[in-house]
Amino acid sequence: MSHSDTLLRVDKISISFGGLAVLTDVNLKVDEGELVGLIGPNGAGKSTLFNVISSIYKPDTGDVFLKGKKITGIAPHKLCRMGISRTYQLVKTFNKMTALENVMVGAIYGHKHGGSDAKTRAIDAMSLVGIEDKQNILVSHLTLSDRRLVEVARSLASSPLVTLLDEPMAGLNVSEIKTLLTVIKRAREERKISILWVEHKVDAIFRTCDRVAVLNYGAKIADGKPEEIAKDSKVIEAYLGESLTRN
Amino acid sequence: MKNLKPITSVVLATLLLGLIPFVSDSEKSYLVYFLFLTFCHIVLTQGWNLVAGYTGQVSLGTHAFFALGAYTTAMIWRADLFSWENYYFDPVTMILSGLVPVIFALAIGIPLLSKLHGDYFALGTLGFGEILKVVCIKGGQFTGGPIGIMLPSSVYTTMRPHYWTALFLAFLATGVVYFMTKSRVGLALVAISEDETAASSSGIYILKYKVLAFAISAFLSGLCGSLYAYYLFQVSPEGFLILRWTLYPVLMCVIGGSGTVVGPILGSLLMTAVFTVTSIYLPGIHPIFSGIIIILVMLFMPNGIIRLWKKGV
Repeated sequence: MSHSDTLLRVDKISISFGGLAVLTDVNLKVDEGELVGLIGPNGAGKSTLFNVISSIYKPDTGDVFLKGKKITGIAPHKLCRMGISRTYQLVKTFNKMTALENVMVGAIYGHKHGGSDAKTRAIDAMSLVGIEDKQNILVSHLTLSDRRLVEVARSLASSPLVTLLDEPMAGLNVSEIKTLLTVIKRAREERKISILWVEHKVDAIFRTCDRVAVLNYGAKIADGKPEEIAKDSKVIEAYLGESLTRN
Repeated sequence: MKNLKPITSVVLATLLLGLIPFVSDSEKSYLVYFLFLTFCHIVLTQGWNLVAGYTGQVSLGTHAFFALGAYTTAMIWRADLFSWENYYFDPVTMILSGLVPVIFALAIGIPLLSKLHGDYFALGTLGFGEILKVVCIKGGQFTGGPIGIMLPSSVYTTMRPHYWTALFLAFLATGVVYFMTKSRVGLALVAISEDETAASSSGIYILKYKVLAFAISAFLSGLCGSLYAYYLFQVSPEGFLILRWTLYPVLMCVIGGSGTVVGPILGSLLMTAVFTVTSIYLPGIHPIFSGIIIILVMLFMPNGIIRLWKKGV
């Protein structure tokens, strides 16, 4: 796989809330087709960085670029149509709707050409994540794991260039985690999309990602191939001296 | 096929209801007046349902748009705007009375809906109603002050046009809500009511759809206000700019089942009946009994009557 073209670039992002610096001078890039893991201890600023990229927060300084085009401060709904979709750490599905309707929202409104073939795209996305048999079930009746998959399908239905996954495995059990890992790999292989993935399950990130970036106290302390990161002393220190490759 | 059934039954019910003035004497019978009032309530309730029930934006400005529609009708008639012979049930006048509230809905909806959420939006719309009330009372010649604008009641002959127009508007309002919410727009509205952040990051332009729902609701309320002006022949702050025209629709929608198409119809029918019966048989103390019924319904059917047989809708 060639990682020649930069798709998403985060340039010297700083943001603070009420005097507390949450991110300082963070640089990050995701190439086309690349799967990048973003890890770091609690409060390191991972979710904040996601919220900056998806324009929920506006950074104090720095810019975000998609395919070289500056997208800082562009409204979230426009960003989605430009090709950045995301999921949330605390699952944000539309619970009064059926699973298919949830995914249809992404297919109709998130796609840059609107909804001409929306239903096909929605069903394709649901098959990809493996929930096509749950189309007509109300989302409030689904398990957490299925709701995560609905959210992933909704984000894929908008045919994104890059998807931001915010801790998709939080709260899932071992077999559900396995399912989700397969989904992430399949999404990437079949759709050729780039993925930026925040996760606490560090071992999953190390086994799957092309590249791993580490945030600690709002600053990027490492960025490289998983095997290099696992040996990086600053990273080990950030995780309280725990070895990252204990198995 | 399954989608045609509700449409057919609503059309049939409307046609049957349309025959009532032929069976029942529209001048003497209470039934015609009662149904007229019920239909007016359905129009306002469906409007509120679209904004609050589906889109999740609780508005307390229904009476303001209702009054704007009534004042528009009264002013056009008084000023003889088109130099026509007849303004009584004139379709152009009525449509304009729907459009003027739309202009106001856009003017206040865009700033309010982009800045205010939840309770604050509700208070903002309430504030709009209060401002309008002061403007109308202090408006001098233009608004007719506290007495309002008197219309030539000599044109009144029968209650029938009121009945049929109200029936038509109730049908229209229900149809608008039905088709909007079954369409892709409805998907956006419900998504907004469920989670604005997720809706927006799924590509929905939130402000656009909120304002759209608000403007359509204002249009329906304005039409209803125009019709009610033709009924009262006096458009005054006391008759139109009162909270009754906001609180009744809210109550009826919630009791019937907000966020459904049939709920507002059931709620309007039930509550208009309750208010009517209690005010006839229990004059003076009827609000107590109406209040008890409201409390009981909310206690045992917090999601509205409709959800008794449509669980989880």
